Amino acid sequence: MSYDKRNRMEDLVIFPGEQEVEKYVYTPGIHGLEFAKGLKEGKILGMKCKDKIYVPPKTFCPDFTQGELIEINDEWILVSYTIVYQDMYKNNLPNPKIIGVIKPKNAETGLIHLLNVPLDKLEIGIKLKPVFKPENERNGTINDIKYFELS
Amino acid sequence: MRSNIFMKDRVAIVGAGITTFMRRALETPRELAWEAAKMALDSAGLTLSDIDCVVIGSAPDTFDGMHLKGEYLGDGSGAINKPMTRVYVGGGTGVFVPESAYWHVASGVCKKVLVVAEEKMSPAHPHPQYVFKYIWDPIIERPLGPNLLWIFAMEMRRYMAKCGAKKEDIALVSVKNKRNALDHPAALTAANITVDDVLKSETLVWPVNLLDVSPVTDGAAALIMTSENVAREITDSPVWVDGIGFTLENQHWYNRELAFPRYLNYAARMAYKMAGIERPWKEIDVAEPYDPFDYKELHHIEGLMLARPCEAWKLVREGYFDRNGELPTSPSGGLLGVGNPIAAAGLMKVAELFWQLRYEAGKRQVKKPVHKAVANAWGDLMQAGTVIVLSN
Repeated sequence: MSYDKRNRMEDLVIFPGEQEVEKYVYTPGIHGLEFAKGLKEGKILGMKCKDKIYVPPKTFCPDFTQGELIEINDEWILVSYTIVYQDMYKNNLPNPKIIGVIKPKNAETGLIHLLNVPLDKLEIGIKLKPVFKPENERNGTINDIKYFELS
Repeated sequence: MRSNIFMKDRVAIVGAGITTFMRRALETPRELAWEAAKMALDSAGLTLSDIDCVVIGSAPDTFDGMHLKGEYLGDGSGAINKPMTRVYVGGGTGVFVPESAYWHVASGVCKKVLVVAEEKMSPAHPHPQYVFKYIWDPIIERPLGPNLLWIFAMEMRRYMAKCGAKKEDIALVSVKNKRNALDHPAALTAANITVDDVLKSETLVWPVNLLDVSPVTDGAAALIMTSENVAREITDSPVWVDGIGFTLENQHWYNRELAFPRYLNYAARMAYKMAGIERPWKEIDVAEPYDPFDYKELHHIEGLMLARPCEAWKLVREGYFDRNGELPTSPSGGLLGVGNPIAAAGLMKVAELFWQLRYEAGKRQVKKPVHKAVANAWGDLMQAGTVIVLSN
């Protein structure tokens, strides 16, 4: 029986619970730290495992060997996208956000990020480039990239 | 006497790996898993492409702070595009992972299994201890504000009362294990301490003092387990899994016998029966009993039937369980000395027995010749027992 159907919530003895782990402090990992430093310098780093490129860089390649850290200067390709009209709390956004799956040309993996592309140009396969925040606003997170725009 | 169990393949361990055990690791959980898994593969002379199944063990997702931790650990454990299982029985997980890998191989489903256990406890703030607050019954127990240490304090007190052990007798286990850990390259809390140091350390929940307890730790461990035919191709000295056991005792720890671990005894009897061991106190040469607390090693020595109930503490005083003693226990340094990244700690114990049985433990190698070994772990709501028996 669902207790809220009985319409007598005030009679119900409840045992409120809360979980006291206040927060988690995650570490970026060995190459994640390099990636974060790179963002601060306005660079996007990747990992070259033999002839394949992975972005962001991982400490180990899929076959468990280790590759070398490289800077990604290729243009990025739009793999897929969506247009977000509401936030998590069902509020309509004044300016719908465009989110895309983007991958550097020649790389195996990529990122998701905001796009600043006119709607009439938005199409899978278009070429993009990252736009960074000004240097004094960067703090080594993925949001140091403001968005991706047409290259 | 061997029990009548049909197995398609005999199961061997052919490689082991471990990360350094540490606090506040920079490495992500999947990087820790990779480091241990890579070392295990290298030690067996295999590469990831040789592996056909992966078994991952990790305790609550709330430690690393990643939901679906098994899947999160997938790439670091080499499980991408392979059959993968994640097992979880709380603190018992570390020994349950090779048990799960055992039936992967024994059934004939997999030939070469990569076994990985990982735990990163330091992301949870202010302290991972708070994760344990939500294992309690929300109605009967939680209003009292219980802490995990309460269980251990009351078990320890009960053991002391029933068996006549004193705090200084129990502290000897901490002294022994932290000393053993001095020779372990991965150890976090190795130290040369005295009984006095233990007694004078901060009292947390009487009778448990700070140095009676294993530390919060980040780390990973890994094994390679294969069928007999594969093992013979890889190495001249495989270590065999002779028996496995696992049981669940009653839910409420306070309704149990607190001075004797029945959850372990049932599991041990199951594993010994499978291994054809009738007198473990004579037949076992080296053991890695689960030692998150010093009294717990004594408890588990008795549960594993390596000493009579209430007699382990007397034997510790005689040096019976020292590395050069009659029946060395925790020659690695155990959880008290090496550290306690929950699932990885249990698997570290199995890895230690692997190295001991291959005479590869270096400075940690026990003095006596070794043929048969046993490890156990303990977990869930403190009622799950897991046991593995190995031989060379």
